[in-house]
Amino acid sequence: MKTLQPGLVHAPVTPFRRDQSVDYATYAKVIEFHLRNGAEALALPMPEGEDMSLRDGELRELLEFAVKQVKGRVPVLAHVSDAGTSIAVARAIHAEKTGAAAILSHPPYFWHPRPAMVVEHLARIGAAVKLPFYVCTPPVESPGTELMSDMVMQLIERVPNLVGVVDASLDFVFMEEVISGGRRLRPGFQLLAGRDYLVSASALGGNGAVVPLAGIAPNLVRQVYDLCRQQKFLEARGKQEDIAHLHHLVREAGASGLKDGLAGIKCAMAAMGRECGVPRPPVRPLGEVERGRFEDAVQSLAFLKAEPRGW
Amino acid sequence: MLMPIRLKGVMQAPVSPMKEDFSFDGEGFAKMVDFHVRHGAPAIAWPHHKAESLNLTIAERKLGAEIAVKTVAKRVPVSIFVGTLSEEDSLDLARHAQKADADAILTISPYCRRPAQEEIYDSIVRIATAVELPVLTYNSPWRNGEGVEFTGELTRRLIDRLPNYIGMKDASFHSQKYLEISRVALNMRPGFAIIMGVEHLLASYPLGACGSFSSSGAIAPNLCNKFFAALEAHDWETARECQFKISELWRLFKEQYPSSLKGAMIMMGRPVGPTRSPLPTATKERLEFLRKRLEELDILQTEPHGW
Repeated sequence: MKTLQPGLVHAPVTPFRRDQSVDYATYAKVIEFHLRNGAEALALPMPEGEDMSLRDGELRELLEFAVKQVKGRVPVLAHVSDAGTSIAVARAIHAEKTGAAAILSHPPYFWHPRPAMVVEHLARIGAAVKLPFYVCTPPVESPGTELMSDMVMQLIERVPNLVGVVDASLDFVFMEEVISGGRRLRPGFQLLAGRDYLVSASALGGNGAVVPLAGIAPNLVRQVYDLCRQQKFLEARGKQEDIAHLHHLVREAGASGLKDGLAGIKCAMAAMGRECGVPRPPVRPLGEVERGRFEDAVQSLAFLKAEPRGW
Repeated sequence: MLMPIRLKGVMQAPVSPMKEDFSFDGEGFAKMVDFHVRHGAPAIAWPHHKAESLNLTIAERKLGAEIAVKTVAKRVPVSIFVGTLSEEDSLDLARHAQKADADAILTISPYCRRPAQEEIYDSIVRIATAVELPVLTYNSPWRNGEGVEFTGELTRRLIDRLPNYIGMKDASFHSQKYLEISRVALNMRPGFAIIMGVEHLLASYPLGACGSFSSSGAIAPNLCNKFFAALEAHDWETARECQFKISELWRLFKEQYPSSLKGAMIMMGRPVGPTRSPLPTATKERLEFLRKRLEELDILQTEPHGW
């Protein structure tokens, strides 16, 4: 197995029409936008791509569409998390057949099984395919079982195609343990920084990043990524603070108790001239007043002036 | 008049030595403090959790503060932690720290109450305005919204309100939470000291953290100093080696902290005695295990023994 190094991985949103169907015409534009603006790989549909709101058939169709649209220009990483092991396994097998370059999965949605069962769940998904496999930490406040570094070590020992972790925990201790412990067991074991926070993960020796805000500010994300690759971590601080500012605005917008940012991301995309509709229910879109306020806040961010407008 | 103090590097937070009858060993404590200063501690901070803070009486905490200030004798800054279960005690300890001539206080809104942001604000303002000392706060968010969390917005309001608010001990160890505070604080008050609760410094130093309150320094001061020097030199390779080793140490010691740590210190020739209940004192088996691991990590061979 040639080692996949996905580098800067963009995580696109999933656009919907007013009738709640997937808007493939716009999705094609989203994908092309990412490819033109620095994506070295795509991961989809990540939590910011509303994976949980898509039905099984739609998840498969979406991946098929994306692979066809990308036409091998960059690797497509398929995210296949679900509540039930067999459902996630079947989707992983489908993703492999469809031409995905790697499989991503985090601990099961909803259930709180003991750590050994989470390891079992993830091991079965990894074992179902020959593709490189990445385990993800669930978004930090999501329900479900946390992925602990000990579980990652057990998975490395059980799953030969486990190549790395996509870290959305943003937890310094977890990152330290996974990078140092993981590489002792499997040299080259990867940690991809999640959720647009690149500096800490990269300083600790992380390999790449999965960046949901790339749809809004691809240049900013790219600049931080490049500085981190050159080990210019101090120089990256100011731009990482800008990303954190944007991240804060996006997450604080909307009604989500998890501050999942879904309503904010799509609204910010629209403010940048890339209309992708609103999130699927039950996620509430921003109301008219909140939307106006949010757009003003986005427009006032000086660092977004250097970002592309429109498609 | 607020005296500027310099907080930078791996700052040492001494443990509280106990005699065999579990009474506070003031003489041992003075040796402990002096040990840290002689081994390069750029500041002394006491009594943190590592020092069994909440298992000390208020009288013992005052005595220890006086011993710390006297022993350090202005060689480096001394900060006194005044967090307690009761805000009245914290206020008392803060005033005492000023009278005892400490250089700063570290405070937090009382634990175990899941305080609202407004309550934390009131608490910090009340304590910080009762003294003229520089004030540090302690960000201690637990999972699921428990703990005492300083958001970026709360930090902004406190900086706005308190001229003597100079820094934050951050125990979030979390990129997003860290940056919520740092991007606000460092831009409003350049020089604001963000000090990591344990030396998870490689992740935070590039983002403006100025140092840490040390956990592993009690047994590995040389490693701590080497680590910080590597960070200052931007020698990321060496910094990674040190960070991963310190991370291993933290894994060894975080269980029933600070029992194992005190056990290991005794092994290194610094008899700091048992750990007060309800925390356990490290067993013989545990000490044997620690000895083996510390040898494998090359700590026993490269770090100072005795006082």
